[in-house]
Amino acid sequence: MATSKSDMKGFFKQKKKSGGITKAKAKSSSTKKSLSPKRSATYGSDITQPAALISHGFPDIENDYDEKEEVLRQFDMNMAYGPCLGMSRLARWERAKSLGMNPPEDIGHLLKAGKVGAECLWEGRV
Amino acid sequence: METEDSSSENGLLHRKQALYSSLDSCFVIQKEMYRGQQYSQIYFARLHLMRTLLYSLLPNWKPHIQVCTVIGLEEGKECIIVGTLYKHMKLKPSILEEYSKERSATPLVRPHNFMHPDDHLILEDESGRIKVCGDVLLPSVYVTGVVVALHGKETGTGDFWVEDVMEGGLPHQIERPIKSGEDKYVIFVSGLDIGSSTSNPLKFQLLVDHITGHLGDKKEQSIAAKIVRVIIAGNSVEIPRGLLNGQNLGSKDQFTLFEPIKELDIQLTQIAAGIPVDIMPGPNDPANFSLPQQPLHRCLFPSSSAYNTFRSCPNPHLFQLDDVSLLGTSGQNIDDLEKYSDANDKLEFLERTLRWRHVAPTAPNTLGCYPFTDRDPFFVETCPHVYFVGNQEKYETRLIKGAEGQIVRLICIPRFSETGVAVVVILWMQL
Repeated sequence: MATSKSDMKGFFKQKKKSGGITKAKAKSSSTKKSLSPKRSATYGSDITQPAALISHGFPDIENDYDEKEEVLRQFDMNMAYGPCLGMSRLARWERAKSLGMNPPEDIGHLLKAGKVGAECLWEGRV
Repeated sequence: METEDSSSENGLLHRKQALYSSLDSCFVIQKEMYRGQQYSQIYFARLHLMRTLLYSLLPNWKPHIQVCTVIGLEEGKECIIVGTLYKHMKLKPSILEEYSKERSATPLVRPHNFMHPDDHLILEDESGRIKVCGDVLLPSVYVTGVVVALHGKETGTGDFWVEDVMEGGLPHQIERPIKSGEDKYVIFVSGLDIGSSTSNPLKFQLLVDHITGHLGDKKEQSIAAKIVRVIIAGNSVEIPRGLLNGQNLGSKDQFTLFEPIKELDIQLTQIAAGIPVDIMPGPNDPANFSLPQQPLHRCLFPSSSAYNTFRSCPNPHLFQLDDVSLLGTSGQNIDDLEKYSDANDKLEFLERTLRWRHVAPTAPNTLGCYPFTDRDPFFVETCPHVYFVGNQEKYETRLIKGAEGQIVRLICIPRFSETGVAVVVILWMQL
């Protein structure tokens, strides 16, 4: 479609001259939890998709992912308790318990406390 | 012809009663919510239940052979693997094939049985799957969904050569106390098909009259007085499906649609007035399609549901009458087995399902099933004393014995509209 030259800029994304988020901007968002370096590796970088970060097929955008979530993800992945999709984590833990598989109690407490993700990572995405 | 005097002289005949308890709680869908889950959950529950059971039986079978998972198999090493069987069938209808080929207006003619000499079995557990070969495990006998333990070794081609197979076997049976006192009869009938062209209202009316004691002399009536319960095992009505073509029904059509159910309700009221009756849904009844079929709704039976002797039950149905445990279905499980495997008679299919400890192994593969997440309700926990299946071609029965001394009476209930045959089971110990 014929457009005037001035409109062409609207077509492509403008690339920032400075790489990513500058220190000045980070100051304003300092009220947020300080992020551990390994999770925030995309900050301050102008590489769009560094290879090392594509661990589950998309860039690591879950930036507030802590050890509790890590423990729960390991629970999701454990084959002994069956497939993780289609059930909430607590329902899967309860099933493991009722089938006599003795899942770790601390995962049960973690899920019942309620401040963690109720579903596995792929829920709704697959 | 009985006169007033003689009947008052002999006294009234009293109907026998039996203590009934329904164990259908596992089949009724109560707290389950469908959250978009797939069938992997029910297969996992089934594999876990059966595997725990098979592991406990292994020491008695082959104690010195190592157990391993499919992924842990080493070539040439003898071991035991436990998993779910999958039968790869060439002729099994596949929805993808139907769409990839040219769609014709008329449906393709389907063979009644989908077996083929090239069918083979594959064993699968959470870690992987492996093709199974050998003469011990016949593909014509097994179907997808059965969990077994296989003893054998991996061959050079990557298949598993089977030397021996172990199934779950008959579960433990609770012993019945030796009979004391009187005979009690239970009537099983199925395939009434009220509303169809093949059903004759006179036949069913004769049956109802006989059961309720309105037929025959004192001797006949005393036989009828021993009947403690009537079980109707599915396909009680045949709704005129030609009317259900997606258009709004006029009042005349609505009346025609509902007529068979009204007629059934009238007959059931006659039965329920005198004797406890259980009605199970079948493949043609107005109930849900997938197993376990939920009980027929009370609103379909306005006059008979007023009686507390009337009971609407799910399919499959598990109940106890005076220490006798009875389990059965309306026929979908056995009919599905007939399509995908081979046997000498229907009773052999029945026996196999009991030995596999699973009422409907082909669910959810080829038989509609609710996607349970935490359990598999078709797993047989305790061995029933009577195991029945409804809507079969003819009446057949056999007594089978288990390894621990279990005794089970297998019954095929024929379609009443075609044969006019109802089955009477006598609840006393066969010594």
